[in-house]
Parts: sequence; structure tokens; C-alpha cells
Amino acid sequence: MKRLRAVIIKEFNHILRDPTSLTIVFILPVVMMIIYGYGINFDLKKVDAGIIDFNNGEHSRNLIKAFGNNKYFKLHDLKAGSAFPVQKGEKLLRKGELKEVIIIPKDFSRSVVDGTGAKVSIIIDGSDSNVANLIYQYNERILAEFMSGINRYAGLANISTKIYFNPQLKSSFFFIPGLVAVLLLMISAMLTSISIARERESGSLNLIFISPLKSSEIIIGKTLPYTAVAFLVGLVILVFAKFWFGIPIRGSVLTLALFSVIYVITGLSIGVMISTIAPSQKTAMFATLLITMLPSILLSGFIFPLTSLGPVLRFISGLIPATYFLRIIRGVVLRGAGINVFVTESAVLLGFSLILLLSASFYFQKLRKRPK
Amino acid sequence: MHRGLDVAENIVEVNSLTKRFGTFTAVDSINFNIRRGEVVVFLGPNGAGKTTTIKMMTGLLKITEGSVKVRGFDVKTDLKKVKEILGYMSQKFSLYPLLTSFENVEFFGGISDLSKSMIAEKKEELSKIIPADILNQKIEDIPPGYKQKVALFVCLLPDPEVIFLDEPTSGVDPETRRSFWQEIYNLKNRGKTLLVTTHNLDEAFYSDRVIVINRGNIILEGEPRELLNSRKADSMETLFKEAIKEHEKA
Amino acid sequence: MRLLYLVKKEFIEIFRQREILPFIFVSPIIQIVLFGYVVTTDIKNVPVEIVNYSNSATAERIIRRINSSPLFNVKKISASEADPKLVLKKGKLSAVILFRDSDSGNLTSSMPEVQVLMDGVDSNTSSLAAGYVAGIIRRYFLEELKNMGIKMPVENRTLIRFNPELKSINYMGPGIVALLLTILSLFLTSLSIVREKVQQTMDTLLVSRLSPVEIYIGKAMPMMLIGIFNMIVGTAVVVLWFGIPVRGNMIYMLITAIIFLCALLSYALFISTVASTEQQALFFSWFSMVTFIMLAGLFTPVENIPAAVRFFSDIDPVRYLIKIIREIFIKGNGITYFYKDLIILAGIATVVLSVSLFNFRRLVRK
Repeated sequence: MKRLRAVIIKEFNHILRDPTSLTIVFILPVVMMIIYGYGINFDLKKVDAGIIDFNNGEHSRNLIKAFGNNKYFKLHDLKAGSAFPVQKGEKLLRKGELKEVIIIPKDFSRSVVDGTGAKVSIIIDGSDSNVANLIYQYNERILAEFMSGINRYAGLANISTKIYFNPQLKSSFFFIPGLVAVLLLMISAMLTSISIARERESGSLNLIFISPLKSSEIIIGKTLPYTAVAFLVGLVILVFAKFWFGIPIRGSVLTLALFSVIYVITGLSIGVMISTIAPSQKTAMFATLLITMLPSILLSGFIFPLTSLGPVLRFISGLIPATYFLRIIRGVVLRGAGINVFVTESAVLLGFSLILLLSASFYFQKLRKRPK
Repeated sequence: MHRGLDVAENIVEVNSLTKRFGTFTAVDSINFNIRRGEVVVFLGPNGAGKTTTIKMMTGLLKITEGSVKVRGFDVKTDLKKVKEILGYMSQKFSLYPLLTSFENVEFFGGISDLSKSMIAEKKEELSKIIPADILNQKIEDIPPGYKQKVALFVCLLPDPEVIFLDEPTSGVDPETRRSFWQEIYNLKNRGKTLLVTTHNLDEAFYSDRVIVINRGNIILEGEPRELLNSRKADSMETLFKEAIKEHEKA
Repeated sequence: MRLLYLVKKEFIEIFRQREILPFIFVSPIIQIVLFGYVVTTDIKNVPVEIVNYSNSATAERIIRRINSSPLFNVKKISASEADPKLVLKKGKLSAVILFRDSDSGNLTSSMPEVQVLMDGVDSNTSSLAAGYVAGIIRRYFLEELKNMGIKMPVENRTLIRFNPELKSINYMGPGIVALLLTILSLFLTSLSIVREKVQQTMDTLLVSRLSPVEIYIGKAMPMMLIGIFNMIVGTAVVVLWFGIPVRGNMIYMLITAIIFLCALLSYALFISTVASTEQQALFFSWFSMVTFIMLAGLFTPVENIPAAVRFFSDIDPVRYLIKIIREIFIKGNGITYFYKDLIILAGIATVVLSVSLFNFRRLVRK
């Protein structure tokens, strides 16, 4: 125990005497939050839609009003000043200036009154399928409402929606907590990954090798001091998320803190593991960035829905710590979930930490027996 | 300007050469000349300014004040011409560690505008000095003695008239050092001019002239034996230490 | 020519660095395949729970349709649910769909009242899912009306241009190739000059007859070639493996890639002259890469980027690359559609190249 304390104190001193690293460790995540936070945004802005009204009757004008009277579309009259509005529409679609072109046929109003089924042609730019799907759904909704305005078909399909947890459907609510998860893992791993590699490069590792410390003590001694730093970083990121991006924190802050500590330890363990294996600081840093960021961004459910993944990738996503913390943080922050909801996830994270630290100790021990 | 074939002419002229890094003066207005065919040794403790001086003379560092002329060409204005006359071997032997000796020869030969046939000839030449198994290894894997030999060979590829060697014998065993100086004499006999920096005092005796530098100033200059006699010193070491002590007092 | 020797040396050095090799050859392929499967906005298997309070057969038929749709993964169908909000709170469902008997006495009385309670956290998936539910229900409704002989006043004839299958890979795929081009070139190139500093061979190069411009080009040229090679491989993988259609002229893609690489490589060389250790170079590269990619409109439409940060997106070469690549691949547009973007890209390349070269020459004479 005394020996462990000594290692921990030494590491703390190292940390405190390295102001540049400390500033990076705190500033980097904030900068990244700003970049990612503004960079990732799936909210659909007003869609540019071109309107060609060949009918110019009462009903067609009502339809146009229906399309225009909401926050989804920004209408452009294509007939104005053009002899070939359809061609113009197609061209603007190809240019990307319009996302859809709505063509109302000449006999529209008559067909509506007669009940012979007026055909509205809509051409949608399918390049971005996500946007295209959303636009298609907006169209359907507006048409349905329009049709229910025509008396005979009142109450066309009675569907209503209620949105919980994110009434304005802001994608930042989805991404920012996820960002916290990704960044926290990266920073935690970075903190420890450089430490052993640095000692190897400077040669002081040999001194540690000959010391009476057990390998496991060394490993733990290198992990614990950074827990405090990493936790502080997490705090900074969360505060930033709340006050800059306006993400509410609906659950208990204490719960969040507890889960964060568990997660941070996992991150530190990853760093220590990398540190033991990597031959140089450069490799350690690079490997850390690669291993923590890439899978966490792609396969944790941060941006891309996990449900769309095939079984193999689903399995891999289960090996990524960020996947679990993502569930935790979104649950606690946005849904106000309590500790009881995430017992399994916490257990998994602790399990990861344990395995990683044990492996690191094991490798470290091997290294000691056969130094390079 | 007409340059005659006068053997005693100065081929390198250094005038009031100064280098300042901010407020720190690394080289303080030094003056010296090197005659064609001379072997000059630049002696001095670590940090004296030897490397800085050589770097200014090769155009690697900007000259703060003063001038360096090689065969009449000013380093500041005619660097291209100077590069055609000058050969340079840097402190760390500066060969490409990931390349083999042969590959280094090919590269340096090529950028010195040697023709393909000449490069092939040179490779032949090298294979006579260096054993075959060393030749095909990466530079980073061969012992320093061979590194030095290859580095010197590569430096001579463009057949320079004047050669600056920065600490070419550091970290090299005495046997290799001896054969290195033998090579220097061969080069001198072929009419080349050489400037060698070192902090090995005994190497001073290999030179025609020794220049001792300390803290950016030249504190001693002359033929080694003459200096010993005139200063009544029993060894280079004593001479050196005393000169430094004197300089430090001032 | 001297330059050729320099290029040859660079290639030898690159291939002798064993840690780097897999990055050049293997990882691009793995990356594209991985990204291709993951980077999708298509939704599938959305977990939902259905609560059926109604007694109608209609409701049951609709529920069956939802159940059999690949879009949804119906976890539970129950007759009642005490607290749907609590269920959603657990975070395991995207929506709870409630079916109630409609109490309006008209033609549509057989249609149940449907309420979709969405977990708004994943706003994108939830909106789409709710929209799909609405779609399924409406389609059923329209069929019923058709069976009764009633025609709808308005018929929606939708045509999807450019990506009729609406597969998101068609949109993301080309972007991924662009991504690849960026990442690899940036990292490798940023190391090239730093390596000379670290190996201490920089002086030897500078003392030689090579001019600074020659050295600069000699460093950039191999990377340009490797970059183009990767682009070709990447495009081939994305087209052959994922079956993305190639509608436009690939020559334009090559031209765009070359101009893009000029910009990117100049930037990487700039980093290389500024960094003093390989670690620093890698760090700056990585950070730049992340920023470039985030602001390039790969994951998010450029219009969504707020005005304050928009400037950085405007000077981001990756953004123009992605835009042009997408136009070529998906829309098959000719150069008349994107020549403006190409000019801007060339402009950026020129500026970055000049600054980078200027800085390099300045560094050469300290």
C-alpha cells in the first residue's frame, strides 16, 4: 500500500508539472465540442421547393398555400418568367438549388371537385436519401391535411404524434451527449497512453522495472491519479454542453457523476493497455486516437443508428465502451433515468476496465522479464 | 575576376563572421582564411560555435553579419556556385537510415548530377572499401565506423574542391579514426582543401593549421607544433586549457 | 533529372516504414467497407412497442403490417400499457404506438385512432419512423377507400431523381472515398518533412544542388501518386462492393482529385515544416482532418453549419471535393454544373501552395 501511494504521488507530480499537457487536455475537448457540435446537425432546414401551377384555380392555390404555410418548405414559383418551367425545375433540381419540384396539372381544380383524382406530380432529389425520405413524408402529410379539408373525407386517417424528451426535435440533443461520451473516452485514454511510452523513451522505465513494486501496483498507480483529471475534464465538457449548447440535464447529477467515473476508468485502462504495448510515444498517441475515436464515432450509435447494422457489426459495437456510456448519458441527461436502469451497462464497463488493467499488468510483467 | 592557379591563394575567406540568435551571440565576428590544399582543424569545446560557423559557411544558417567567400563566390549571393565547389559532411553522418549504402550513393550521386554510368562506377568503388554484407543493409543497422566511411564517400561524390567535415570522428573507434585521417591526407594529395571540426584535441596534430574557438571567438590559431613551441606547452591539452582559461578571464 | 532521384528515395523510405505500409494498402479497403456498412441513414429494425386498446379488425390488420415491415422491430404487442412514458424512459424503444377505437361517426369510423409516442432523443430516426408508421396507415386507408370505390381527390405521383432506390450508400459512398483521400494523404505527407528533421538529413538535402522548390515538389509528388492510387482503389471498391452507380465522367473526378491533393498536400507540408517532432505532426494532422471532415458536409448538410463557423467550411477543400464527387457520381453532372466549385478549389489550392512554399523557403534559411 505504501509503495502504491508513492507511485500515485509521483504521477500526480508529473501531471502538475506539465502545464502544456494540462492545457491541451482541457482545451482540446472544448474546441472539439464546438467543431463537432456545430458540424453535425441533421435538422432539416427549410426545403427549397419549386411550384409549377398549370391550373391557377381556387383549389390549386389552396394546395400551394398548404405547402407554404408551414416551417418545412420555402416555395419558389417556377412559372414566373419562364416558358418551360418544367425544364427549368429539372435544371434547378440537378443544380441542387431545389430539392423538389411540385407540378399541379391544368385540370386540378376540376378533378378535385369531380372526384376523379387530380394527379400532382412531385419530383424529389433523391441524392440524400435521408432528406428525400423526410421530404416525401412532409408531402404526404400536407396532402393528407389538404384532402381532409375537403369535406367528404374529413378525418382521413387519424394519426397524431407526441414527442417526448426532445419536443423541438433538435439533433443537438442527440449528438452533444454522444460527443461527451466520445471525447471523454479519448481524453482519458490519451492521458495514460503517453505516460508509460514516455517512460520507455526516456529510459526511466528500466528504473521502475528494478523497483520492488509489483506490476499490478505500477499499473494501478499509473491509472488512479488520472481519474481525477479525466473526471474534471468530463465536468468541463458537461458544463459546456449545458451552458453553451443548452442541453438540459434532467436526471440526477450525482448519478451522472458516478457513471462518468466508471466510464473514465475504462478509458484510462485502454490508455494504459496501449501504453504498455506501444514502442514509442508517437505510436501510442496515434493508436489511442485511432482506437478510441474511430470505433466510438462509427459503431457506438453516436451518429448512425445501431439498429441498421448487420449482426457482425452489431457484435463489434458491443465491444466498444462508448456504446454503453452513450446509452447511459442519453438516458440520464435527456430521459432522466435513474441508476437502476443502467446496472448492466455499468457492470460491462467495470468488466472492461478489469480485463484491460489485468492484461496491462500481465504485459507489463512480461516486459519486465524480457526488457528490450 | 580572374583566379589564377596560385597555390598559396586563399580559397576560403571568412570576414567578421557573426551569428546572433536574438540577444545571444553564438559567433562573434571571427576572421580566418583557408589556403588551397590546406587541412585545417577547428577545435573547441561543445557549444563553442564550431557547427554554427560551418553552417553559415555552407549556407545552412543565415549570416547575421560579415561574409564568407569560397573561391571568390560570396555565400550570401552566389550560393548556387558555392554549392558546386563545396562538399559537406554533417555531424550525424546524415545518410538516409532507411536506405542501404548503395541506395544512398545512387541518391546523392543522382542529385549531384552524376550520370548513370558514373553512379555505377562509384558503386563499384564503394564495394572495394566496404564488405558486401554491410553494403546491402540499411544504414541504421550498420556500425558507426562503416557509417562514417560511407558518409565520407557520399560527400565526395560530386568531387568537391573544398570539403567541410563537422565532427566526422565522433563516436568512432581509434582504428577507424586513423584510417579516416589517412583518407584526409589522400584527399589533400589530390589537391583538395579540408576543414575539419572536432573536440578531440589530439587530432589537432593531423592538421596543417589549427584554429581554436571558444564562446564564438577565435582564441588561438596557427601550426600545431609551432604553437606548442611558442607557448612552451608540453601537450595540446595544456595549450588548449590555458588558452581557454585566458580567454575566460578576459 | 534530380527530381526523379528524390522521388525514388521518398518511395523507398515510405515502403521501408513497416508501420505505415498497412495504412497505404490494407486500411483504405477496410475503411471503405466498414464505413460503407456503418455510415447509413437508412433506418431498419426500429424497436417499437404497439399497444392495442381498440377492438377493431382494422387495427389488427394494420398492426400486422407494421409487424411484418423490415423497418420495424416490434418488441411487444400488448392490450394496455400503464405508463408509456416510463417505458420510453428506459431508452430501449424508439416509439410506442397506441391504437384506439375512433369515436367519430363517419365514413372513416372503422379506422382506429393512432397515436405515436416518440422518443425524441434520436430525432432523425424518430421522425422517419413516425413518418413510416403514418405512411403504412395511410396506405391501408387508401386501399380501403379504393375497395369501397371511393377515389381520392388528390393523387401523389412522386418521382425520385438521381437515387431512385433511395439507398443512403449511394450518397455516402462517394463521400467516403473523399474522406479516405483526405485522411491518408494528410497523415503521410505531414510526416515527410518532419522525418528529415528527425533523421537529421535535412541539412544534407539543403546543402545539395537541389533547390528548395525541387525538394518541396520531390516530397509532394510521391504522395500525390499514392493519393491518386488510393482514390482509384477506393472508387473501385465502393463501386464494385456496394454497387454504387457511376453516372458521370471519371476523368473529371481525376482532375478534381489532383487539384484537391494540391491543396491538401500543401497544407500537410505546411504542418510538416512547422512541427518539430513526428508526434506533433501527427497530432496537427489528425486535428485538421477532424475539422475538415466535420465542416465538409459529409455527415451534415452544409446549409446547417451556422454562420459563425461557415467561413471555415467555405475554405475547406474537402467540402468542395465532396460536393463535386457527389455531383459526378449521383447526378452524373457535367462540368458546367460544378465548374464554379472547381475554380474555388483551385483557388484554395493556389493560396495554400503559395503560403506553404513560402514558409518552406523561409525555414530553409534560418
